[in-house]
Amino acid sequence: MTAPDPASLLHPVAAGADLVPRHVVRSRLFGRRLAIWRADDGFINIWEDRCIHRGMRLSAGVNDGAELVCQYHGWRYSNRNGNCTYIPAHPGEAPAGALRVATFACAERYGLVWSGDSADASPPSIPALEDAEVLVLRSLPVNAPVPLVLEGLARYSFRPTAALGSDIPVATSADAGNPFSVTVTATTAGAASSVVFFVQPADAGRCVIRPVLSPAPAPGERLVTLRHHAGALEELRAQLEDARPTEIAVPLPVATLEPLRSGGTGGAAGGRRPQLQVRVARKWLCAEGITAFELVPVTGELPSFQPGAHLDVHLPNGLVRQYSLTNGPDLTDVYRIAVKLEPDGGGGSRLMHDSVHVGDVLDISTPRNNFPLRRDAARTVLIAGGIGITPLLAMAQTLARQGLTWELHCFARSDDHIAFGEMLDSLAGSITRHVGLTPEQTGHELGRIVRPYAPMNHTYVCGPGPMIATARALAADAGWPEAAVHFEYFKNESPRDDTSAFEVALARSGRSLRISAGESLLDGLRNAGVDLPSSCEQGACGTCIATVLEGEPDHQDVYLNGSERAAGDRMLTCVSRAKSGRLVLDL
Amino acid sequence: MIKLYDYLLSANCYKARLLLSMLDVPHELVPIEFYPRREHESAAFKKINPLGHIPVIDDDGFILRDAHAILMYLACKYDGGRDWYPTGDPRLLGEVASWLQFADGTAATASAARLCINFGYDFDLEACQAGAHRLFRVLDEHVWFREQEGLSWVASAAAPTVADMALFPDVALSEEGGISREDYPALRRWTERIQRLGGFIDMPGVLPVAPLPS
Repeated sequence: MTAPDPASLLHPVAAGADLVPRHVVRSRLFGRRLAIWRADDGFINIWEDRCIHRGMRLSAGVNDGAELVCQYHGWRYSNRNGNCTYIPAHPGEAPAGALRVATFACAERYGLVWSGDSADASPPSIPALEDAEVLVLRSLPVNAPVPLVLEGLARYSFRPTAALGSDIPVATSADAGNPFSVTVTATTAGAASSVVFFVQPADAGRCVIRPVLSPAPAPGERLVTLRHHAGALEELRAQLEDARPTEIAVPLPVATLEPLRSGGTGGAAGGRRPQLQVRVARKWLCAEGITAFELVPVTGELPSFQPGAHLDVHLPNGLVRQYSLTNGPDLTDVYRIAVKLEPDGGGGSRLMHDSVHVGDVLDISTPRNNFPLRRDAARTVLIAGGIGITPLLAMAQTLARQGLTWELHCFARSDDHIAFGEMLDSLAGSITRHVGLTPEQTGHELGRIVRPYAPMNHTYVCGPGPMIATARALAADAGWPEAAVHFEYFKNESPRDDTSAFEVALARSGRSLRISAGESLLDGLRNAGVDLPSSCEQGACGTCIATVLEGEPDHQDVYLNGSERAAGDRMLTCVSRAKSGRLVLDL
Repeated sequence: MIKLYDYLLSANCYKARLLLSMLDVPHELVPIEFYPRREHESAAFKKINPLGHIPVIDDDGFILRDAHAILMYLACKYDGGRDWYPTGDPRLLGEVASWLQFADGTAATASAARLCINFGYDFDLEACQAGAHRLFRVLDEHVWFREQEGLSWVASAAAPTVADMALFPDVALSEEGGISREDYPALRRWTERIQRLGGFIDMPGVLPVAPLPS
């Protein structure tokens, strides 16, 4: 037999039937341990069986249908791309995008699940299995090396139908077509069937025999057929394991499998450059004046996201707009956003509504999360004004899936103005619609909603500026600590003053520069070669935040809360400036 | 109220705790410090069980020792429907008895390996582990065929029996004895099914599982 090139092939790692709901299968390929789980949406994840935090086996973890949770410290990893979505020890922070388990290629064929180190490879195509219904027989782990097992399997003999007695002659032929499989065909007068044995190279000296029978027997003969083959294989295993000490077992080289990275992100680090291309897969009116878009990757898979995340859409006319992802954790193969038509806006929403169509390709940023959701609250109160429901919808779905206590209040002009109204009905939770209220009535309702502060309560507010301001003031009056009141503005409507001029020293790069009146700190930094990421560039989203080491910032954003402003240790470089003549930044 | 002479980390005591919880029988735990004090071998405890083993129950003055005897007694006395110990069906009862016997084997191998590693017992660890793998191969195949028959439990009944309770701790704690269950995918599914039963309680070393979608 020629030496196999393991890298060019996919190998079976589980039977499809092993991946029962909310379960994690433990497997191994070329010495590498694998955790394999099927999400509720059907996607099969094949991951390195190791939490990136402390090395705990992920195959011991909890498959909650959309995320895999490590048993050790509760790190959660997303379906599809394996990005870490939540770290319980840092409940208020979005995990860095680089936190990701190693993921491997996956394919399904002949009732088996296949993996390997090449994304382009496909499972072997076996003629005997192509033309008929097949039956996956019971797999059998064997403590013997692959070549020995393949030799043994070539001697396998069986009865082509269960009805045949053992005294009827059966002709058997083996065909070693693929370096990791053997096909054995048994024929007798009037009946023929084939068993294809795929051998999973688990480790040096250990493999798993995964047999597939073609054609599948009649339903009445299924069990007796399964038992016939299980018995015959058991006998073969006993021989193989007994024979092992006299064999000179040549262990297969243990290949180092390179984890597959999802395409698209390209590694563009900073600035406001688009990082990903997506295609509009679906566009529909999800409420009065609100259009929803579903975006799918042009190549590869979408980077993961957490509830509260937004992305930049780079429009064909050069405008850059921010939209929150409305996806719950169940929906990982598309990004779903909603755009409200703003007739008096800068034209971005008009363009999205009128000129972006299904099939169009858009440049976007990867999702960023400056509005992260804690999952350790005793009670979470979500307050949405108008289109501000979008990030809160993602939060509500996450809280509902985890069975946490939450309530969602939607303020809108009418029921027809509530985006994804029909989805709200399907969410198990307390949802209250407040429609057609005047500003005074809205204030009154907000007062009722935020009144009872209790420890471990958190509230998340997103909506028009005045509404957020009212909710924050009412919450403060009701004794809510600032750290428990989270908010996200659409835009920064406060007056801005860029008349100051000041000196900026960059502590890490050892440079200093001068910001003149009319020039933003962010632009000054970029001109000096510091490529800081940014998104809204008006002081609302928090992407361009920098740490202040010395000096007094002149905050002009709407992202930081009062105590964060007073602390003076962080600032948004797009709009904020300096009150002191000099700032030292940790850049 | 039933008293259970119990040690939290004992696989055998866990069998009794599990069934008491699943049958919702009020009981009181009397901790016996198995390790490091070896209280089960003390003169005081040997008055309760001269063999110096736990678990032992005291049901209103009726003293009963040995985990499997306790399982049978509790099931007969407190399970009106007789699902857990199906005395009304001779074949089923035979199956249950044979798997209880099998569980003596897993206790002597899988749980013995755990005693070596966690509690310093001087057994032949490799022999214990090899013996456990021999039994787990048989049990995994058995449970796999049960699934093919559309059944979920060790005996061929629709509901779990004391045989499942007798086998569960030795299997679920096997990794503590250095016995990986990677080669036993059907056993890994079966332990999850048990963990989803109403009244299930865990113990240190038994990790929680995800609930099924409703």
